[in-house]
Amino acid sequence: MLSVENLRVVYHDVISILNGVSFKAPGGEISVIIGANGAGKTTLLRAISGMLDLYDGDVIEGDIKVGDSSILGLDSTDIIRKYGLTYVMEDRPVFWYLTIEENLAAAAYSRWDGAVKMDMEKVFGYFPVLRNLRSQKAGYTSGGEQQMLAIGMSLMTRPKIILFDEPSLGLAPLITEELFRIIQQLNREGMTIVLVEQNAHAALGIGHRGCVLENGRVVLEGSAEALLENEDVREFYLGAGAKQRRSYQDAKRYKRRKRWL
Amino acid sequence: MVDLIQTLGAGLLIGIVYGLLGLGIVVIFRASEAFNFAIGEFLVIGSFLFYIFFFDLHLPFFLALPLGLVASGAAGALIERLSIKPLLGRSALSMTIITLGLASMLRASVQLIFGAHSYSFFLELPDLSLELGNLLFPSERVWAGLLSIIAFGFILFFLFRTRWGVAIRATSESQSKAMAFGIDARFILLMVWALSAMSIAVAGVMISNFGALSYMTGIAGLRAIPVVLIGGMDSIGGALIGGLIVGLCEALVGSYIEPLGLVGFKDVAPYLLLLIVLFIRPYGLFGTVRIERV
Repeated sequence: MLSVENLRVVYHDVISILNGVSFKAPGGEISVIIGANGAGKTTLLRAISGMLDLYDGDVIEGDIKVGDSSILGLDSTDIIRKYGLTYVMEDRPVFWYLTIEENLAAAAYSRWDGAVKMDMEKVFGYFPVLRNLRSQKAGYTSGGEQQMLAIGMSLMTRPKIILFDEPSLGLAPLITEELFRIIQQLNREGMTIVLVEQNAHAALGIGHRGCVLENGRVVLEGSAEALLENEDVREFYLGAGAKQRRSYQDAKRYKRRKRWL
Repeated sequence: MVDLIQTLGAGLLIGIVYGLLGLGIVVIFRASEAFNFAIGEFLVIGSFLFYIFFFDLHLPFFLALPLGLVASGAAGALIERLSIKPLLGRSALSMTIITLGLASMLRASVQLIFGAHSYSFFLELPDLSLELGNLLFPSERVWAGLLSIIAFGFILFFLFRTRWGVAIRATSESQSKAMAFGIDARFILLMVWALSAMSIAVAGVMISNFGALSYMTGIAGLRAIPVVLIGGMDSIGGALIGGLIVGLCEALVGSYIEPLGLVGFKDVAPYLLLLIVLFIRPYGLFGTVRIERV
C-alpha cells in the first residue's frame, strides 16, 4: 500500500505546487487521480517516485510511505530496486534512438538476475505487436506502440506498484481502450496501480477508487462508482450534467464547497 | 605518385589517433551535452600515468598500458566527481565553462608535480615498420594507428554490446527517462568520464611516443576540436571519419603546401576545412539527423 501524507512540494524554492496532499492507494487496487492541468498530478507522481531533484523540486512537508517505511528522500533507482515502485512518465517515455529490444534491456538495467530474456518474452506476450518491431528504433514507431513499449519497459523493472501518468495522452480511443484493458489485466495479476488521467470517464471505469486534485489539494475522494455519480465530477470532469450555461453564482457555490472539503 | 600515397598513408595513421581523441569528446557530449575543453590535460595526465607504470616501475608494455588506462579512468572519474557531479541538472554550458577552468588547474598541477621539462618517451615495441618499395611508414606511426583502432573497437563494443553501453546511450538521450526506469544517471556520467579519459589516454600515449612528453604535449589535444566539429558532435562514427579527414588534411598540406613557404599552415588547415564543412552542414558531416515523427 502506498500512502501520501500531507505532502507539500515547491519548485525552485518558491513555486508551491502541492499544498498538503493526502492520498492512499491500497495494495492490489487501481487508484485513479483526476484533475485539471496544473493541479499537481505529475508533481505528485514525481515526488512519489523520487524524481523531484531533477526538476529542482523539494518536499517541504509531509511523508510518503510504501507499507510502513518512508521512501521520502530516496532517489528513483533505490525506490525501484527496494520497493518495486516504477513511474511511467507522461508523453511516452521511450528512448527514441534505441531499438525496441534495447529499450527493454535498458529498463532492466537495475536488475542483475538472469531472467531478463524471459521477462522480455512476457512483455511480447502482452504486446505481440512489439515482437515484430523488436529491432526497429523506437522513434519510428507509432504513438500507441510507444506507449505499449513504455508500459513494457516498466514491467522490465519487476514492479509491485506502477504509477501511470496519462497513458492515453494523444492516442486514439481504440488504442486507449486496449491499454486500459492491459492495465486492468496487470492489476488482476496483483499489481497496485496509480493512474493519473485526463480521460476521467475511462479511467474511473476501470478504477476501484479515485480522487480529484485541484490546486495542489485533494478536494474529493471515494470509490470510483461514487465519483462517477458525483454531480460536481460529472459536470467539471466528465462533461456531463447540466447542459445549460451555469450562472456565476453556481460556480461560486462549487468553489466555496470545495474549500471546505 | 609515391609521394602522394606516402602522404595519404601517414595522414590516415595519424587520423585514427585523432579519431580516438574525438571519441573522447563525443561520448561526454552525448551524455551531458558538455564540451570537455580539458582534453589536452586529460591527454597529458593519461600519458604521465602510463609513464609511471612503464618507465618508472619498468613493467612490460602490455601490462603497463592497461594499468595506465585504469589509472586514467580512475583519474577521469575522480575529476568528474569533484567538478562535474555537483552541476547535474544545470545547463550544459556551465559544465563546459567548468572544463575551461579545469584545464588551467590541471595543467598547473601537472607542471607542479612533474616539472616543466620534457621527459623522453620511447616505447621499445616490436618493429612494425612498413617498407614497400619507396614507401616507408615508421614503426611508431603504425603502432599508433593499430592500437588506436583496437581501442576504438573496444569502446564501440562496450557502447553497443554491453548492458552499460545500452544504459549510457539511454541516459545520453534523456536523463529523466533513464532515471524513471532505474538507471542511475549520476553513475552513468561517472562511467562516461572514465571511458573518455581512457580513450584520450590511449591517444596520448601514442602521441607522446612520436616525440617527448611534457605538460605542453596537451596542445595536441586541441586537434580534437576540428575533428568532432567536422564529424558531428554527437556521432561516434563521425569522430573516426572526422579524425581521418583532419589527419589527411594535415598530411597533404604538410607535404604540398607548406614547402611553398607557408610554414605552420598545416596547423591552420583543419580549421579552414572546418569552416567550409560548417557552412554546408552546420551539424557536422554525421551530426544526428533528429528523428522527426510524421
